[in-house]
Amino acid sequence: MKESLLGGVKIEKTFRRGDKETKVLDGVSVDIFRGEFTVIMGASGAGKSTLLYALSCMDRVSGGSVTYAGKEISACSEKELATLRAREFGFVFQQPHLVSNLMLFENVAVAGYVAKKDEPEAVAAKAEELLDRMGVNGAKNRFPAEVSGGEAQRAAIARAMIAGPAILFADEPTGALNKSNSEEVLDLLSGLGRAGQTILMVTHDVRAAIRGSRILYLEDGKILDEISLGAWEPGEDRQNLTLAAPAACGGGKEYESRKEREDRKERESRKEREEKVTAWLSALRW
Amino acid sequence: MEYRMLAKAGIKKQKGVLTGIFLLLFLVALSLGTILTVWGNSGSYVRKEISRAGFGTITAWVSGIPDVSSLTGQMEEMDAVGRTASQPLIFSNYTIGEQESDSEGQLILWEREEERYRFFADDLSGYQLAPEQIVPGTVYVSPSLISLFGVKIGDPVNFAVARNGGTVTLTVAGFYEDPLMGSSMIGMKGFLISPEDYEAISGQVRSSGIDALARSGSMIHIFQADGSAATTAELNAALNEQTELARYTEFVHSAETIAGFMLVLQNAFAAMLAAFVLVLLVIVLIVLGYSVSGTVETERKNMGILKSIGFTEHALRRIQLMQYGAAVLPALLLGLLLTEPAARLLAGMTLTTTGIRISAKQPWVLSSLSLFILLVLLSAFIWRKTKQIGRISPMEAIREAETDGSIAGGNLPAINGRYLAFSIAHRQVFTGKKNYVSACMVALLLTFFVSLIGRMDSWLGPDGKGMMDAFNPADHDIGVQMFGTSTEEDALAVILSYTEVTDTYLLAMPGISVNGIDYTANVISDPERFHILEGRSCTGDDEIVLTEFVADSLGADIGDTVTVSAGLGQAEYVVSGIYSCANDMGDNVGMSREGYLKIGEDRPQLWCHHYFLADASRKAEVTEALTGMFGGDVHVHENTWSGLGGIIAAMRILVVFMYGITAFFILTVTAMTGTRLLLFEQRDIGIYKSLGFTDRLLRLSFAMRFGLTAGLGAVMGSVLTAILTDPLVSSVMKLAGISNFASSPSFGAVLLPGMVVTLLFFLFAYLAAGRIKGE
Repeated sequence: MKESLLGGVKIEKTFRRGDKETKVLDGVSVDIFRGEFTVIMGASGAGKSTLLYALSCMDRVSGGSVTYAGKEISACSEKELATLRAREFGFVFQQPHLVSNLMLFENVAVAGYVAKKDEPEAVAAKAEELLDRMGVNGAKNRFPAEVSGGEAQRAAIARAMIAGPAILFADEPTGALNKSNSEEVLDLLSGLGRAGQTILMVTHDVRAAIRGSRILYLEDGKILDEISLGAWEPGEDRQNLTLAAPAACGGGKEYESRKEREDRKERESRKEREEKVTAWLSALRW
Repeated sequence: MEYRMLAKAGIKKQKGVLTGIFLLLFLVALSLGTILTVWGNSGSYVRKEISRAGFGTITAWVSGIPDVSSLTGQMEEMDAVGRTASQPLIFSNYTIGEQESDSEGQLILWEREEERYRFFADDLSGYQLAPEQIVPGTVYVSPSLISLFGVKIGDPVNFAVARNGGTVTLTVAGFYEDPLMGSSMIGMKGFLISPEDYEAISGQVRSSGIDALARSGSMIHIFQADGSAATTAELNAALNEQTELARYTEFVHSAETIAGFMLVLQNAFAAMLAAFVLVLLVIVLIVLGYSVSGTVETERKNMGILKSIGFTEHALRRIQLMQYGAAVLPALLLGLLLTEPAARLLAGMTLTTTGIRISAKQPWVLSSLSLFILLVLLSAFIWRKTKQIGRISPMEAIREAETDGSIAGGNLPAINGRYLAFSIAHRQVFTGKKNYVSACMVALLLTFFVSLIGRMDSWLGPDGKGMMDAFNPADHDIGVQMFGTSTEEDALAVILSYTEVTDTYLLAMPGISVNGIDYTANVISDPERFHILEGRSCTGDDEIVLTEFVADSLGADIGDTVTVSAGLGQAEYVVSGIYSCANDMGDNVGMSREGYLKIGEDRPQLWCHHYFLADASRKAEVTEALTGMFGGDVHVHENTWSGLGGIIAAMRILVVFMYGITAFFILTVTAMTGTRLLLFEQRDIGIYKSLGFTDRLLRLSFAMRFGLTAGLGAVMGSVLTAILTDPLVSSVMKLAGISNFASSPSFGAVLLPGMVVTLLFFLFAYLAAGRIKGE
């Protein structure tokens, strides 16, 4: 039985510009289940990001309600929401959005400090560990302007994870990255999903969407349909192979053959999932 | 057209910053214009009035003279003297309410036809025609008596003409303008009386014989001959040599010295305010510089685009100049326009202290010229600051604006999880130094100036002791001068019934001449009590000490010999030291009792007995008991004078005014800088918020940046004040004859200005960061 962690009931969001009102979300009801990697897809302007920010209460809804762990949060005060963001929610944006005058390590640690779940020393140790897991520990003492977009985005994921959030929100996390950096970031998110992290990701990219286990399709401010894909399994070992040194994976020929095997498995799985999603999308659009 | 369009768009976008600059500059222009008007007009007005009213190049106050016309005849025979005029008067101590004067009043015979004095309307709002006559039994006084004694029309003034009931009471009928001794800074005061009263009081003085307390005398106005090239000191010396003036002189002052006495308050405060305006102007330049640089930085991309479509560097700089000109020019013009009402207000407020109605008529040439210079200075400054526009290359600017700026590495302050708000603030200040330089400099300058004024205020003390010590040749708690049959022993018995006396000495202040020039001598029975600045005191009967001003004007140094004359003759004295006493703006000398008695006559009434009390808190009770017991036969004074209250009050107003302006400047600077920073950091603030930072934490951290920066500036400002206050203020104080200025403020007084400035920056930054809430 799936447990709803985050839910929206008849969410409405209207933007006003002068006399003109634009309804971006039109009574969306949705549940995000614990431990599931949910993806929101939709055409440009469909309201994907708006829904993500409405559900995470980064933005106030115009109508309806949002519930987190059984408690309505859409009516919470700014202070309560700040606590929620610090301790329960993690965010990854299209751009890394790191604080420009803090080094990568500090960008990660500062989010842990403000959450106040652990002592500062424990936060610092965890930040080191996360940066290491994300493969950017070597750049931890560099400023955001001194690292690549991929490195910055990986640090942003580490920052989102530092307080051990119950749910990770990702808004087009690969939108500003090149293909190889995108894959690395998606591998990281997939890894987190496999480990039981609840994730809600917005994307318009099929290659990114297939990493999720459930895809919702949004059109004209309403959820049109959803599809369940199951967990992203093929790349299970690929992440380790990509991020770790060959020696750590047996080295030489053994590494090469393992990598080849995993790549093949991934290609096959990816193709299968892509075909499934593309067909689903075509049917929806048609 | 395109210039106007772009400038208009820029003005709209920057209206907050431009409003701030407008307010700051308006305040600077208004203050500058008002100070120039009051300072310029008061100086020229006093000199013009002294001349119009017929006061001479030198005025000599004389008493005990049998025939004034004989003396003036002798004077007029001198080549250096053109003509003379005299005004009969009576010297008399007076009491208003319970308050006794500390200097003799001068009851001046007023005759309508002489048109010497101007009369104020009863409500002091302007002038009125001179009365047809002064009604016998009434008196016209200077409005400075309002601040000195709280006098009002209808109040009685009691003149101690003779002992045993010889007190004459006259009722205040109105106020007149006295350009000679109207200021509350001058102890001697004139009272205009009717011919009938003058005759009656003169008769009473004559008939009272040795019981007379008042003395008949004259003011002799001596006009230098047109062709004479003698200095006033030389003229004074020649008068003493060639006429009998020295025998009858009470005191002699040149018109320039009198103008100096009259203007000392205006000049001192104008100098302080002018210095403050200068500090404010520097602050405006700092803020303006920061603002222009900030604009160029934020508009870099737009300027790149404009350059790519053909705008030149020169054109873009012109647009910036137009934008800032929209704030600068109206601020200066409005300041110029409102100068006259502000000066009128100030002149009205100071009338009861200065005794003269300073014209508020704007010196248009001076005001316009100074504001034009200000405009040129500001325009040149803006033009220079926009030079960086030249370095913007179109594509580079467009590309740069899309990426993050890099941060200089090095030893950065660590982010500490336990003090998150503080450590983030610390980091922000460290990595964005240039954004905070202006706040730091402003804090430094404001702390420096407020501290400086604070130190002057501390020196003055709550009861004006600093000022009194500067004016008194020697310290004391109370001074007692006996006139009647009662003796000093009788007075001492009364004092001892209240408190023990720890020490006592005698002081007299007769007029003497040194090398032919008239001065007041401070004659003391215990010369070691003089405040000696250099050398040693005049312990021998052939020694004299001079103030540094007298030493300068006589060209005398320690070890030199001077000739001193008094009523009984003259003798040579060796200058043994330089001492400090600001009386008569420093025009005085110090002698031992033995030294003076070689050439001057000794009368019991000459001496004032100065006492140090074991319990100084009982001064008021002792004074009351003495006046109650001996009435008009005793003159008791404390280590204070009635004009001091006005100075202390003016100083307090100045301190409050400066704190007010400081708060306003900090508010404007913080709002301007803070708004811009918040704009720059909008993205970072959003990120922090997404991480769970509360509004309060972010505002606190933001305010801490300003607190940190201002704190640093305040420390530097306080150090600077500690180093520069004494030399700077001393040089100003010397203009008023005070040569012993040394500030020694309490620990709290040293810290207070810096703390206030830092706190205000913190507080206003916290308020300015209110917009974080809405983001």
